[in-house]
Amino acid sequence: MKKILSICLFEIKRTFKKKSSIVLMLGMPLLFTFLFGSIFGKNADITFRIALVDEEQTAFSKDVIQKLMMDEMISYELVNALEAEELLARNEVQGIVTLEKGIATKLRNEKPPATFQPSLGMSTAPLVIQQVNQAMQAVDIYVAASQVGGFYFNESWESVYGRITENEGRIQAWTEQKTNAPTGHPMMGISYSSAGFSIMFVMIMMLSMTGTLIEARQAGIWSRLFTTPVTRFQVLLGYFLSFLIVGWIQFFLLILLSSTLFDVNWGSPAALLLLVTALLLCVVGLGIAIASLVKTVDQQHAIGTLVIISTCMLGGVYWPISMVPDVMRKIANFVPQTWAMEGLTTLIADSGTIGDIFMPLIVLLGFAVIFLFIGLSRMKYV
Amino acid sequence: MLTLTDVKKSFGAHEVIKGISFQVEKGESFGLLGPNGAGKSTLISMICGLIPNGAGEIRVNGKLVGKHLKETKQIIGVVPQDIALYPTMSAMDNLMFWGKMYGLSGKKAKARAKEVLNIVGLTERGKDRIETFSGGMKRRINIGAALMHEPQLLIMDEPTVGIDPQSRNHILETVKSLNEQGLTVIYTSHYMEEVEFLCKRIAILDEGKLIVSGTKKDLNNRLAGGIVLKLTVGTLHPSFIEQVKKLNGVEKVIVQTAEELDVHLQSKMEIVADVILLASQSGVVIHNMQLKEANLETLFLQLTGRSLRE
Ligand SMILES: Nc1ncnc2c1ncn2[C@@H]1O[C@H](COP(=O)(O)OP(=O)(O)O)[C@@H](O)[C@H]1O
Ligand SMILES: [Mg+2]
Repeated sequence: MKKILSICLFEIKRTFKKKSSIVLMLGMPLLFTFLFGSIFGKNADITFRIALVDEEQTAFSKDVIQKLMMDEMISYELVNALEAEELLARNEVQGIVTLEKGIATKLRNEKPPATFQPSLGMSTAPLVIQQVNQAMQAVDIYVAASQVGGFYFNESWESVYGRITENEGRIQAWTEQKTNAPTGHPMMGISYSSAGFSIMFVMIMMLSMTGTLIEARQAGIWSRLFTTPVTRFQVLLGYFLSFLIVGWIQFFLLILLSSTLFDVNWGSPAALLLLVTALLLCVVGLGIAIASLVKTVDQQHAIGTLVIISTCMLGGVYWPISMVPDVMRKIANFVPQTWAMEGLTTLIADSGTIGDIFMPLIVLLGFAVIFLFIGLSRMKYV
Repeated sequence: MLTLTDVKKSFGAHEVIKGISFQVEKGESFGLLGPNGAGKSTLISMICGLIPNGAGEIRVNGKLVGKHLKETKQIIGVVPQDIALYPTMSAMDNLMFWGKMYGLSGKKAKARAKEVLNIVGLTERGKDRIETFSGGMKRRINIGAALMHEPQLLIMDEPTVGIDPQSRNHILETVKSLNEQGLTVIYTSHYMEEVEFLCKRIAILDEGKLIVSGTKKDLNNRLAGGIVLKLTVGTLHPSFIEQVKKLNGVEKVIVQTAEELDVHLQSKMEIVADVILLASQSGVVIHNMQLKEANLETLFLQLTGRSLRE
């Protein structure tokens, strides 16, 4: 036991002695959170203003508009076509979104259903287009239902649509689901970035830490360790604990800093601790698995970075998973970050409890078991 | 202290250690001399329980290695061939870490680390990171780490590879004085001067076999008065070589290059004259001629036909 602790503490001390560790642990995630969070976030100085023109003037378009208005990243201004042109000319808005007459019916057959007129050099154009399309697609489900209903009831779809949306607790209930949570903390851009970049940088940190397994093996330190009266079990457990503890410390500091600097509310501490631990087990497992499959630290670094970045993209670490196509969302189920993000957003935005993140917890632990099994069964010691 | 009985080891189909037996007594300094790839490191790995021995028996203080690994490991201090230290940590931290791996408490490890720094002569550098050290200083800490738990048997695997002569001398002196204080030492090297300087008893290992072993005196007796005549000639005729081999008192003839020939002689100087006579008779022009006294290196050459340092 004493030896396990000695190995563990020694590794932790070694980690914190490296300046690069501190940068990797705290500097980078905070910087990224700040940069990305302020691009997408409410707290940002730069807000995007978009003029919104409603030529359709039906319940459908009103619902789409309502949905768009709730967005935090972009502020929409509902005006008529003339005013919109003036605003754009005066550079007071960066673009105009026009919901054309009859888009509700067009939506069923053609795309794009809305026209978009950005000012020159507007970099967020794709984001706006995507948002508008998303908002419409969300509402579109109801339109489709209304059309089918209208066919059967022999009514116009608009009146069916009106009924559905009125009776079904209305669409905003669907869209506002997240913002209606009791604590009333909306999942702001910066919260999302915080959660995402915490995950990514904890992963990178753990990758660099598990790299020490390869370093130690290459430098002959493991060989030497096994000439002393310590067992493999003691060595592995010592290392493993050091990874976990550094991961905890990193997460703890990131949570502390992001909640004081950016006002991110991370939700229930107990549930968070569980989720973070499950994530760390999984990530450390991944690091060990990669370490056991390669020969040099450089290989591990190259492969690891590739794996982490690509799975982070898939897993919705950089942008909400709801923004990607269906196929991608299905693939994302096989990526641990998806589940970590799901767990974290449940905690942050919905003030979830342990019960609410049961599924992510189980899946993450499942990943951990698989990775550790691969890692430990393939690890070479001498 | 240490007994090896017919120890063998294969890696796959490649038999690396082909049945080795020897014994090292308490307080001895035992030298294991052999060229690269002879199997020195493999042998040491087996003695310290890092890899299992294929066949035979290794006993440390009577205890079978493999069966009583914990005890035998505690008795031995190993200085590995590679510098197995943490470069970003201080010398002190490194020493304490290895001490703790042998079960020393934090306090004890600290006190002992200071002693060890003193032994290896690096007291002033204790707080500095290993990566700031010269090759020789790293080697000294590498040795120090094996001394932390005050082992009864110190096994050193080529501890002076790639360092400056000054550090090398310091290490040799340190090991010699440790041995004089009662520490049993096994020292492997492919430098015969080191082994000659340090060790009372020497075994020469080649291709996984002990080709000769005994006290320094035994080995010197085998060489007694041995002399090597190094000839540089114009062209070597095979018939000339054959005739030299047949001369009475010539032990071995080794053709080094197309122009170079080593003739190993017993001490009879008159043979030199015979060789010169033979050369002139068979039309071989002698450009240069050197007489060298035999040492362990020439003994190795005699026994294997190869040089220790290829
Ligand atoms: N783990 C291993 N697997 C396969 N062959 C090995 C291994 N370790 C050593 N050898 C081989 O065993 C022989 C002896 O190596 P070694 O003990 O390192 O020699 P030395 O230390 O005397 O230079 C070499 O031919 C080497 O290639
Ligand atoms: Mg060797």
